[in-house]
Amino acid sequence: MSRFLIRRVIGSVIVMWAVATLVFFMLRIVPGDPIAAMLFDAGDAAAVEALRHKLGLDAPIYVQYFKWFWLMFHGDLGNSIYGSHVPVSQAIAEALPRTLSLASLGFIIALAIAVPAGLIAATRRNSMLDNVVSFGAFLGLSMPEFWLGILLIIVFAAGLKWLPAIGYAPLSEGFWPWLSHLILPAIAVGTTFSAIIARNIRSGMLEVLKTDYIRVARAKGLTGTAIILRHAFPNALIPVITVVGIAFALLMAGAVVVENVFAIKGLGRLLIQSILNRDYPTVQGAVLVVSTIFILCNLVVDVLYTMIDPRIRYDT
Amino acid sequence: MTSQHTRLTSADEARIRAEFDDAYDFDPKDPLFGLGRAAMCGPRLERRTVLRLLAAAGLLTSGHLMGAVRPARAEGKAGGTLTCGWAGVGEIVTLDPAQINQVLQFQISSNVLSGLTHINAELIAQGDLAESWTVSDDGTEYTFKLRQGVRFHNGDPFTADDVLFTYKRSSDPQKSIHSAVVANIAGLDKVDDHTVHFKLKAPQASFLPKVLERASGRAMTIVCKGALEKMGESAYGLAPVGTGPFKVTQHQLGQAVVLERNTEYYDKDRPKLDKVVIQPIIDAEPLAAAIEAGDIKLIGGNPIAPELIDRFAANGDLVVDETPGPTFQALWVNPWHENMKVTDFNKPLEELMKEKGFMARLAIAKAIDRHAYLKQAQFGRGTPAFGTVNPAMGHYFDPSLADSSNQKFDLAKAKQLFADAGYPDGKGFPKLRLLTTPSNKRETEVVANQLKQNLNIDVAIETKDFPVLIEDFDGMNWDLVRLGSGGDYDPDDALVDWMQTTSKFNGRLRDKSKYPFGFFSDKDVDALISKQSATADVDKRREMVVKANKTTSDKVASAFLFHQPDILVHHKSVNFPKESRIPGLVDLDRVTLA
Repeated sequence: MSRFLIRRVIGSVIVMWAVATLVFFMLRIVPGDPIAAMLFDAGDAAAVEALRHKLGLDAPIYVQYFKWFWLMFHGDLGNSIYGSHVPVSQAIAEALPRTLSLASLGFIIALAIAVPAGLIAATRRNSMLDNVVSFGAFLGLSMPEFWLGILLIIVFAAGLKWLPAIGYAPLSEGFWPWLSHLILPAIAVGTTFSAIIARNIRSGMLEVLKTDYIRVARAKGLTGTAIILRHAFPNALIPVITVVGIAFALLMAGAVVVENVFAIKGLGRLLIQSILNRDYPTVQGAVLVVSTIFILCNLVVDVLYTMIDPRIRYDT
Repeated sequence: MTSQHTRLTSADEARIRAEFDDAYDFDPKDPLFGLGRAAMCGPRLERRTVLRLLAAAGLLTSGHLMGAVRPARAEGKAGGTLTCGWAGVGEIVTLDPAQINQVLQFQISSNVLSGLTHINAELIAQGDLAESWTVSDDGTEYTFKLRQGVRFHNGDPFTADDVLFTYKRSSDPQKSIHSAVVANIAGLDKVDDHTVHFKLKAPQASFLPKVLERASGRAMTIVCKGALEKMGESAYGLAPVGTGPFKVTQHQLGQAVVLERNTEYYDKDRPKLDKVVIQPIIDAEPLAAAIEAGDIKLIGGNPIAPELIDRFAANGDLVVDETPGPTFQALWVNPWHENMKVTDFNKPLEELMKEKGFMARLAIAKAIDRHAYLKQAQFGRGTPAFGTVNPAMGHYFDPSLADSSNQKFDLAKAKQLFADAGYPDGKGFPKLRLLTTPSNKRETEVVANQLKQNLNIDVAIETKDFPVLIEDFDGMNWDLVRLGSGGDYDPDDALVDWMQTTSKFNGRLRDKSKYPFGFFSDKDVDALISKQSATADVDKRREMVVKANKTTSDKVASAFLFHQPDILVHHKSVNFPKESRIPGLVDLDRVTLA
């Protein structure tokens, strides 16, 4: 296992370098001049060139690349070239806890809905309950996150006034302020993923429930609950965990729509905003973090495989 | 809804007319705009003086005169926290006046930083950090006595050195994007710790209400040397240290800006609020839900999506306050496009009218029904535009242009022109690319539909992120572009910035070997604009502004669309006094909560 982990870490570093390099050059190829946008209502052509020089954007691309890479190698992601020129690491450090909070709560909500729904749908196949769960899953899948988010705001914030409509409160302000700001966006992101996970659990369970060892378990007189929870569910988890891992990574990196609706400046919104502003250093830094999250999630999934299924061994 | 309208009596109307006449009665030979030295000196100008200066600077509107009809007063009690939503923006990227390039940014910085002067609701320049001032006979020298005992939020004392430091920083294009604003200042000297002396290159009517103004001017918004050096530009940009009524205590980029009362503010009666929390909110619907739920009590930032205004107006808990805005919006038509080509705008209009490229351009401009556009795209709000000069510029805005402009909507003539250009019923005319931003797509579709229905022109709308759109616009890489301007308080903002051959927006990044000019170039217009800029006499200046504006309209420098109104929405529990209702700004120092 340890050799596997070392191999994976080395591979991950190479992947991150490749992603960062690709993003660095792609950003400079795509149209859109950050300086012209920054100076839209001020400055003439000379001012454009002065600012370009000040930010080092007039240097050859390879010079910019090596400078950026050298700084990154020393743990410096550089400064934003837009607005206040804040350090990229600071922008990421501010956004990450928000995204982590939203993704974690959304993930818990997704699992809380998906696991029972998937199990019920699988064990009550073709029943009214199965149909209801399947319909709910389709509804959750086909409902755009932003629309669900707006609906939740209108009902629970504007209408009932139970929860805040927008914004984020850090944990340092107290548990309830933190939680109350996250409930609605977490439901919005969690619902979509719960539908995906529930459908995976259902199909995985249906496969397992047809196997011989389940038939044997039944013949031995085990209760339905024991069969499902001890024998069927763990064996149905392998494909589910793959999906859950990807879902968590997507939640960490891609909750931008919900972040926009609820005015939460998370990692996704930071990335999109900096892409729109052509803020090269911030995009590069954010992409690096997002790719790290994806790699870590995949690594955790791989490790979880070995814990769930003893037959899986990576060092052999 | 609490509507804020004022019904004028005939006596009021007569008084306003008299004040207008008086305000515009200048002696053209006098560099002090017809006023004596005593009248020009501060700390506060007389009403008559102010009206004349406003007129000279092109800032006078009937709204300023109406202010006297209904004196504003704030109600409610001091203290409390006001939560605000800043519309249409993901983050307040900077509050450093040297870097500010959006109205929504200086709406906040105006509450944190001071200038030597600050305009009030009637656009009157009042002493802010300047306690009083005197002006030389020739109008080119100003001596300011600064307030004593004023301290920055970090405790540093405010002195003349801070004025000099701010000027030095602002005049350096490497450090500030507003160096052009202070270009008319020939020199600035420190007389003593609390006295500064400005020498101007030429008399400038807008010196007090614009150049030294703390909000929109930005170039001479006073920054704290000590704090800037200690904090560095990044940290200062997020939480600038000033001498204003509020201090920034927290700025989580993209999440919230928190302002708290500056207990050491020089006016002990202000600010009233203890705390202000400003949250940027990009999407329209969450913004609406947030104010309807009471999570936010006031909306600032970018103009509110027009589809929301009627909804807010119907809400009994909200106040919708509308006033003319300093903007113009336009559909730009590329003169280098083969089928709309005009290579020489210097020709007399009669000659241009015979050119097929010009006929096609004019047909497009004439085929836009601006009233229908406003109804369909802007929910009936706004003023049809026929030039860059907007109604907020008061005296310089020429309402008769709507009738006299070559661009006036006339479908029959537009069709005839298009047919004469060789495209009867649009036959043979190519499909046009119309560039716009994602947020403007819906209203741009209204324009595209009108061109299709009225001239049978196929228009393909291409939405582009702003940096791409502006790069294409600057490089003349477009057929049509939907783009406009905001925060234009002076004719210079409308004409110098947009309509001269050397204007900063006029094909700034174009291939000059291919395109000798950008979207428009007319020597007579260039000369008129330069002349009006240096003319103090308001009537003569107006004459030139009106003429230049009409020529750009007649020669279709652009197909002008509309002037956007300035709309402030807040909860009825927020007492936003009229004296703080400055178009485009959100000054919160007098605001109270019921």
